[in-house]
Amino acid sequence: MSDRVTGGKCAACGTVNYPRRLVCSNCGGETFESVEIGGQGKVLTYTDVYALAIDYETRYLRLAIVELDDGVRVTGQLLDDDPTLGKRVKTTIGVVREPGEKKILGLQFVPA
Amino acid sequence: MKPVYIAGAGMTKFGRAEWSLIRLASEASLAALHHANLGEIPVDGVVVANMGAARVNKQTALGSALVDQLALCPATAEAVENGPASGASAFKVGCQAIASGMADVVLVTGVERMRTVNGLEGTDFVASLSHPEAEYIYGVTLPSLAGMFARLVMDRFGVERKHLAMVAIKNHDNATKNPYAHIQQTVTMEGILTAPEAIVNNPPIAEPLHMFDCCPVSDGAASVVLVSEDVAGNLGGSKVRVAGIGQATDTHAVHDREDPTDLKAVRLASERAFAMAGLAPSDVDVAELHDAFTILEIVESEAAGFFPRGEGHLALERGETALGGALPINPSGGLKAKGHPVGATGVAHLVELTWQLRGEAEGRQIDGAEVGYACNFGGFGNNVVATVLRREAE
Repeated sequence: MSDRVTGGKCAACGTVNYPRRLVCSNCGGETFESVEIGGQGKVLTYTDVYALAIDYETRYLRLAIVELDDGVRVTGQLLDDDPTLGKRVKTTIGVVREPGEKKILGLQFVPA
Repeated sequence: MKPVYIAGAGMTKFGRAEWSLIRLASEASLAALHHANLGEIPVDGVVVANMGAARVNKQTALGSALVDQLALCPATAEAVENGPASGASAFKVGCQAIASGMADVVLVTGVERMRTVNGLEGTDFVASLSHPEAEYIYGVTLPSLAGMFARLVMDRFGVERKHLAMVAIKNHDNATKNPYAHIQQTVTMEGILTAPEAIVNNPPIAEPLHMFDCCPVSDGAASVVLVSEDVAGNLGGSKVRVAGIGQATDTHAVHDREDPTDLKAVRLASERAFAMAGLAPSDVDVAELHDAFTILEIVESEAAGFFPRGEGHLALERGETALGGALPINPSGGLKAKGHPVGATGVAHLVELTWQLRGEAEGRQIDGAEVGYACNFGGFGNNVVATVLRREAE
């Protein structure tokens, strides 16, 4: 259980690869610095999904793709009762999935 | 590369199966083999397409299981798992065997038996194709990716829920003409969108997508027999040639794409398939697209090159994609109504096209169809196989 979400910043070209890979999608570089993913951004798109997978007891989940101000895009859970496209949000870290006794932490978005 | 032909095609009725996984695969295979009427010509190899048997049916090595069921040992056998694109991937592997000269007759069978588990398990099994750390842990499922995609496309290109409903209405209509389709029921705009009770009939699944925007969960199998030019010549009759196959991939996580509304892998796979075939999208008489969600039929019809970007819903509205339109899309009923047994889907596309090109599609036959196109969409667009088939003169 990690309380931070990280990406890989390519040492050669500076592109942040999130999710991480071993080879930079922009330049082919293989050396990365671990950087924390998060901050402020805007909602690119979102959904209320009722077709849930295992591990959830809620009726639906509100998921979003957010474009952070540094250009990195992330998928996470949107904690906002009045979502709109383009709305300003900021990231927080919270429990996003609870398989059995485990608690998985990840990105959540709240109004900025 | 040596030419490859489809000599026979068959499938089981999609829906809830009483049969075991291998019985399903065997019945579709036998239908295709009988259709091909090979006589004494031996089958050199079997390729099975499947996504979830290891998890859902607790069975592996499906190629070995099927080759024995059909008493085809010691023919070669293998299985291909490539997510929802498993079917067309297995087809590609079969074609490569013949194009290389390593085989003369290959049976390709796609199968899925996923109604054995409950809805949560079934949804979770398919969701396991998403990125484990950047998507899956958040509760991402395929409907959620489709919902987020749909909202963005609708906002950007003026697609409305009525257009999504038009896809469902068309494909449900088509399915009533296909005895192999899972859902044999027409739907109306009133019933799923405009009447007060529509919200009850058609509840949300992943906003803005509702139940009638999503394919059902189906069991089923589909099969084709691929043959070399020599064998096709010996068999005589209608010759359906595999004119082109194209495949392309895209990033695992949907958010990682430069433009998440651009189905780049569909575009590239289609360009490659048409280039190999020496044909253009305008040559296509009938298309089977991967409408796991209604929005996908619209956007795939653009990415494949049939309509300009952002105008697929307008062509749909004008009736161009209906049976009897300029380019009928999903005459089989599509995944939407024919059903979507995941590993079988890509092969079922090619079964329908083969029947259409041979003039055997009965109540949904497109007159004189000569060129067919199929798009098998894996992941949420991260692995796509496009196929172009062409009927040759006898």
